[in-house]
Amino acid sequence: MGNFDLLMHGFSVAITPMHLMLMVAGVLMGLVVGVLPGLGAPNGVSLLIPLTFALDPTSAIILLTSMYWGALFGGSTTSILFNIPGEPSSVATTFDGYPMARNGQSTRALTLAFVSAGVGALMGILVITLLAGWASQFALRFGAPEYFAVYFLAFAAFIGMGSAAPMKTLVSLTTGLILTSVGMDSVTGSIRLTYGFSDLLGGISFLVVVIGLFGIGELLATVQEGLRFRGVSSKIDLRDVLKTLAELPKYWATTLRSGLIGIWMGITPGGPTAASFMSYGVARQASRQGAAFGSGRPEGIVAPETADHSAGTCAMLPMLALGVPSSATAAVMMGGLMIWGLTPGPMLFATKPDFVWGLIASMYVSNLLGVILVLATVPMFAALLRIPFTIIGPMIVAICFVGAYTVSGATFDLWLVLVFGLVGFLFTKLDYPLAPMILAMVLGHKAENAFHQSMLLSDGSLGIFFANPLVTGIMMVALALLILPKTLGLALSLRRNRKVVA
Amino acid sequence: MTVRRFHAEIGTAITTGALGVAAIIGAAELGTGWSDHGPQPGYFPFWVAIVLIGASLWNLGGAVAAHLKAQRTPPDPLDDPEEPFLPRQNLIRIATFLGAMTAFVIGMLTVGFYVAATFYIGLTAWRQGGFRLWKGLAIGAAFAVSLYLIFETIFQIPLLKGPLEPLLGIY
Repeated sequence: MGNFDLLMHGFSVAITPMHLMLMVAGVLMGLVVGVLPGLGAPNGVSLLIPLTFALDPTSAIILLTSMYWGALFGGSTTSILFNIPGEPSSVATTFDGYPMARNGQSTRALTLAFVSAGVGALMGILVITLLAGWASQFALRFGAPEYFAVYFLAFAAFIGMGSAAPMKTLVSLTTGLILTSVGMDSVTGSIRLTYGFSDLLGGISFLVVVIGLFGIGELLATVQEGLRFRGVSSKIDLRDVLKTLAELPKYWATTLRSGLIGIWMGITPGGPTAASFMSYGVARQASRQGAAFGSGRPEGIVAPETADHSAGTCAMLPMLALGVPSSATAAVMMGGLMIWGLTPGPMLFATKPDFVWGLIASMYVSNLLGVILVLATVPMFAALLRIPFTIIGPMIVAICFVGAYTVSGATFDLWLVLVFGLVGFLFTKLDYPLAPMILAMVLGHKAENAFHQSMLLSDGSLGIFFANPLVTGIMMVALALLILPKTLGLALSLRRNRKVVA
Repeated sequence: MTVRRFHAEIGTAITTGALGVAAIIGAAELGTGWSDHGPQPGYFPFWVAIVLIGASLWNLGGAVAAHLKAQRTPPDPLDDPEEPFLPRQNLIRIATFLGAMTAFVIGMLTVGFYVAATFYIGLTAWRQGGFRLWKGLAIGAAFAVSLYLIFETIFQIPLLKGPLEPLLGIY
């Protein structure tokens, strides 16, 4: 069956009353999560996973991904109306979105953001649809060494391409790997790193860590700055919406360029945040009136939003085809897949076509639904931010702790949330990235298993990671991603310094 | 003495390094070498911990170097390691919030989630939000009841309960 037939089959799975309802519910919950500070997409998805155990995996993933899209939309809403990015990936939207809204054009700014986000998402899904079959075919040739090389590639890309200092990324990554070693070792069955504490026997759940790091940590950061919202009018005028829609085709070049940047950053582990910043920067350089950026240029909204959403959707492709998530939220979802008893990777395409193609088809539908829903409900959700923080803050805290408790019903996890909340706050303040820690916690066991199996195959020789062209190629790309970006940057800045001196 | 940013950098680097040392001790008990069945259970954590310690030392050195440099030359105002990590005002806000949160966790473990949430939300609204006490508690109770309906009625996931719920006939 070709991809098109599979996609049509996917639509028949995705478009049922039950699934449409889940999409609406997911998008709406995502909007709440995206709008409220302290509840981000990774954290929101973690909170929802324990509630999905009763659903079948296809329904569950549709609910979770819809929530993710909703959170991306919600993050843009607060960026534009309140100058508060609800999500890290919508920081770049504040640069031009908020000034435009301040000028009394909030409807225009929101419409530009939502529609270009929708377009970006569609571009991303289109790429997934085209590549999914091929990527899984490619991945079928993978053995244990290739898998380890791919995991190594994911880690290397985070270190080399991330915006943080490489050594800080490395600390975050290795901390995650050590945390995931706690408890039962899945290869040898021995109990590791519990130091005699029975609470640690079951290991440390990455969901609990996400809730602490992203939920409580972000709340602490919000609290210490003291919340003061200066919102602008959030009324949506239908005539302005239509006028903006007519204006959109003018920005086709920005949209196309940003979509491609997003797709690239989504498939390689750059993530939506890096994609939106990069796309904003490129749009600014490409524009002839570069100076006007930051004062409410429409391109300044279109560029980051398109890239943000195309990267967000494309992050699903490596997660499904290879089992390598390229964003924190995708990592959490992949952890969910494993909890539901599915193994992400090429076999998923062969054994569970309903799941994979149902998900891909649902992404088309739920993103379209998302654009309509978010335009219709923006005033309502913006009102959420007018509730005093002294009320909404403790409620978010309570929801985070309830979410952590429902993961496995252990009271020890409540203390872990508190500890990781502090860690998240400290790490954010000191520019340690958090996503690599989550990635490492989700991939740690798989990476170790792949390493173990490779070592059994090769009788302990590391040469197996360079034994055939495929694995050598992946390793080479990984090493290049690890070393090149930072050294190139260093060399360039050295040359610039020398020029200044001379 | 105020805690400056480089103090926080150094403290964090030492803590992450200590985590690495702890992992090495744990891994050493399991064997970090090779057996007939491939790597021993401690092999992977051991080498990961070595990398973690190395990276932590690098960050430690970086923080110390930045501190020494800032003492000799006027620091970059945007990236000054000597600036206070948390100004007094922010520290007070964080401490209050953390204190209330810790009390909430202890409350959850002793009187159960619903009662603890009611009081946590109610008292915060009263003390910090300037709401009337009864109003805050009413908001907290409404929140607790709605979570009860969502979790225990719809999803059938029991949350922590204390001595009060059995008296009301809720288990």
